[in-house]
Amino acid sequence: MVSRRDLFTGAAALVGAGVVSRVGAASLPEAVMVHSAATQVPPPPPNGRPFHPVVTLNGWSLPWRMNKGVKEFHLVAEPVVREFAPGMKANLWGYNGASPGPTIEVVEGDRVRIFVTNRLPEHTSIHWHGQRLPNGMDGVTGLTQKGIQPGKTMVYEFEAKRPGTFMYHPHADEMVQMAMGMMGFWVTHPKNPDFMKVDRDYVFLLGSYDIEPGSFVPKTSTMLDFNLFTFNSRVFPGIDTMVARQGERVRIRVGNLTMTNHPIHLHGHEFEVTGTDGGWTRPESRWPEVTTDVAVGQMRAIEFVASDLGDWAFHCHKSHHTMNAMGHDVPNMIGVAQSEAAKKIMSIIPDYMAMGSTGGSMGEMEMPLPDNTLPMMGGQGPFGGVEMGGMFTIMKVRKDQKRGDYSDPGWYKHPAGTVAYEWTGAPLEAVRNTSSGGQSMPAAAPARKVEFNVRKPSGHSGH
Amino acid sequence: MKRFAVTRTSRRAVEPALRNCALVLAVSVLAGCASLSDDGAAREVSTLTQPRTGFGVAPERNERDAQAGREQVARLLSAPLTPDAAVQIALLNNRGLQTSLAQLGVSEADFVQAGRMRNPGFSFSRMRGGDEVEIERSVMFDLIGLLTIPLRSAIESGRFEGAKLSAASEAVRLAGETRRAYFNAVAAAQTEKFMRQVVTSAEAGAQLAQEQAKVGNWSTLDRAREQAFYAEAMTQYARSRHAATAARERLVRLLGVWGAQLDVKLPDRLPDLPSQPSEAGALEALAMEQRLDLQIARRDVEATARSLGLTEATGFINVLEAGYASKSSTGAPRENGYEISLELPIFDWGGARRARARATYMMSVHRTADIAIRARSEVREAYSAYRTSYDVARHYRDEVVPLKKQISEEVLLRYNGMLASVFELLADSRDQVRSVNGAIDAQRDFWIAETELQAAINGSGGAVSQSMAPGANAGPAAAAEH
Repeated sequence: MVSRRDLFTGAAALVGAGVVSRVGAASLPEAVMVHSAATQVPPPPPNGRPFHPVVTLNGWSLPWRMNKGVKEFHLVAEPVVREFAPGMKANLWGYNGASPGPTIEVVEGDRVRIFVTNRLPEHTSIHWHGQRLPNGMDGVTGLTQKGIQPGKTMVYEFEAKRPGTFMYHPHADEMVQMAMGMMGFWVTHPKNPDFMKVDRDYVFLLGSYDIEPGSFVPKTSTMLDFNLFTFNSRVFPGIDTMVARQGERVRIRVGNLTMTNHPIHLHGHEFEVTGTDGGWTRPESRWPEVTTDVAVGQMRAIEFVASDLGDWAFHCHKSHHTMNAMGHDVPNMIGVAQSEAAKKIMSIIPDYMAMGSTGGSMGEMEMPLPDNTLPMMGGQGPFGGVEMGGMFTIMKVRKDQKRGDYSDPGWYKHPAGTVAYEWTGAPLEAVRNTSSGGQSMPAAAPARKVEFNVRKPSGHSGH
Repeated sequence: MKRFAVTRTSRRAVEPALRNCALVLAVSVLAGCASLSDDGAAREVSTLTQPRTGFGVAPERNERDAQAGREQVARLLSAPLTPDAAVQIALLNNRGLQTSLAQLGVSEADFVQAGRMRNPGFSFSRMRGGDEVEIERSVMFDLIGLLTIPLRSAIESGRFEGAKLSAASEAVRLAGETRRAYFNAVAAAQTEKFMRQVVTSAEAGAQLAQEQAKVGNWSTLDRAREQAFYAEAMTQYARSRHAATAARERLVRLLGVWGAQLDVKLPDRLPDLPSQPSEAGALEALAMEQRLDLQIARRDVEATARSLGLTEATGFINVLEAGYASKSSTGAPRENGYEISLELPIFDWGGARRARARATYMMSVHRTADIAIRARSEVREAYSAYRTSYDVARHYRDEVVPLKKQISEEVLLRYNGMLASVFELLADSRDQVRSVNGAIDAQRDFWIAETELQAAINGSGGAVSQSMAPGANAGPAAAAEH
């Protein structure tokens, strides 16, 4: 693993670091590579205008060089291997060894020059999503530029005019290249570092992939029926937790590059949406929320004061987005007596085990899965299985978390009497309504006894 | 047969000298003739069948033979039947073959009979006319029979040789048919067992579907689909069960067992494929030496050559063999024979007869050549069938079945991860059974092809070439989809 310090003190110390065309291309800034999926906290900017760096969840920020007042970055589009969670790796396309690519951080008014080298087998381009820039720098192949051919490098140059939250992604063979994981985060910090200053500023992109269990490469023709929903191409339980010291102001910026909306939900706190695609929201326009919908192609910045200690769930509220790969056509077995049939099945398939009669919970069952496949839900918490996957992580608020310390403090130690407990008294009689309507539709006869079977939603095509 | 009576009429007395002379002649002829074998030539037939089938034949001619045969059959039936044991039982027990062997006894008797002179006859008559009493005494002696003994012996010997070859050919054919029936019976039983698994799988699916519908998870439509699959699987299973019974009965008929012996135990599975197929090598040459139909044809050529030579030499001795040994056939005994006549060459000097004999000879020659050409072709075709069925069976064993197994394992892993449903798992298990049945068919086809190849080299060939059609175990196309 590469420590953040190594990353920014010199490329020579980097494991897996590479340099594009050192020979005969002295004008190119170094393309720093990282192959780890761990969160790497950037140090304060070594040069240029000052800003408070963001923390890319399970990612890193791209170092730059100042060249006569111009901030120069070097992105290399290339095939990469991304670990979604321990036990599963995906062969993706990304930038500088990772997918999503490194976060680019600049300051309002910076002159930015980005070298983009294409090491993919097909042409590409980069669209700087949300930026104000000269039309010819917008990165739409055919419309505003020629595609960057394999092996070629093209240069984008513009002024980072508007502060805010942005993204970058190809605008060439998009369906394939984005399905393959080509995306990255971009933050333009305000000129005044104290403007809307927060203590912690987390960023990540929402992504979705369709990787058949047992395979490694996403299906690039999937339109809606994705089976892995990711924060920065990581899934629970492989995602890092977010942490905050009690009382700190925390900002989380989310960009959505999937094909569906994601209601992002934080437990235990209210937040306000302080930024959108268009910039910062005026304070008088904000309202408190616990869930904000991040629509397709949108960015949202939410802010809150981490006032309440604990381990707070943070996730997309579409329940199947907090699952890893699962069968879309698995019939509901709830309530189905299986033991007789199971005996027959076991006579033909000895390793068969009947499941689902009491619901979908796999509990702590550990059964062999196809290669390179994560359990549909997993993660062990202090009280047992968390039974989550995909777009799920935890916001850990601690009294003694040091400022600037992003390390995982472990599980929250609940004060006595603050954890849900089991009722040990006499069973309580539930009161049931016996009428079948209110005043407008009074019951004509005693309510008919209706056998009612609750059925969990299954299948999630057409989000 | 014309008889020539040596008659002497005497009004006084028969001369003792003549009497003595006739007796001496008769005794001298009788002394040089062939005698009956003690086993009806079975040993000689066994010499022919042993290298070709691995076993000899044993004619059942008395209660002692029958008892020995029954004991041996009982011993062979006490263990699960092997292909060799099946052949051995058929050779001991098949009544059709016993018929051929009995026929052989008839031929041998004819042959022995042909080497013997008829007994001399003696007649005495007394006639009275008026005062005169005429007493006629005569000694009759079969002179023509005596003259033609070598001729008849040679012909009957040839016929006897032919009968031996026919009996051997019959035995070899029976052995091949038994092996075929054996492999069919074992394979059909194996298929039946696997079809039972399809039924189990379909039954489990239907049961789950019923439960699904009962608790409200499934519609009547979904349930009915799964139920229909089960219903269909049952009919297929019934068919496979009858197929197994029919195949077994075919084998039982060839083994000639009945009653208490019917409990023939078949092994659970066909013999494994040999590790290497035999190479084509000099199979054609081998067939030329070994094939019984060729030997029969050759013997026929020799016999007609002899009769041709005889006809050429004598002209007025008319020897016609009415037939040559044709391909063996069961049923009525051949009705060929011969006739010898002595004629006086007054009007016909035998030219036409000689031409006819020559043509008959050429017929035999051409027929033999024809059989040889067919035999070579049959060997080549049988080898191709053998080699193809070996490759197909090995491909099933090494590629298709392991792949299907791997697929099943992967589907199970997907079921574990709730990525696939139990119904997919069941559908796949049925798929796998089908490929296993395909493998069984391929393995059976190989062993049958091997049997056919042996028949083409050793027996009389003529086996129907196997079609290389895929296993006919097409079940319901796909599982109901849910």
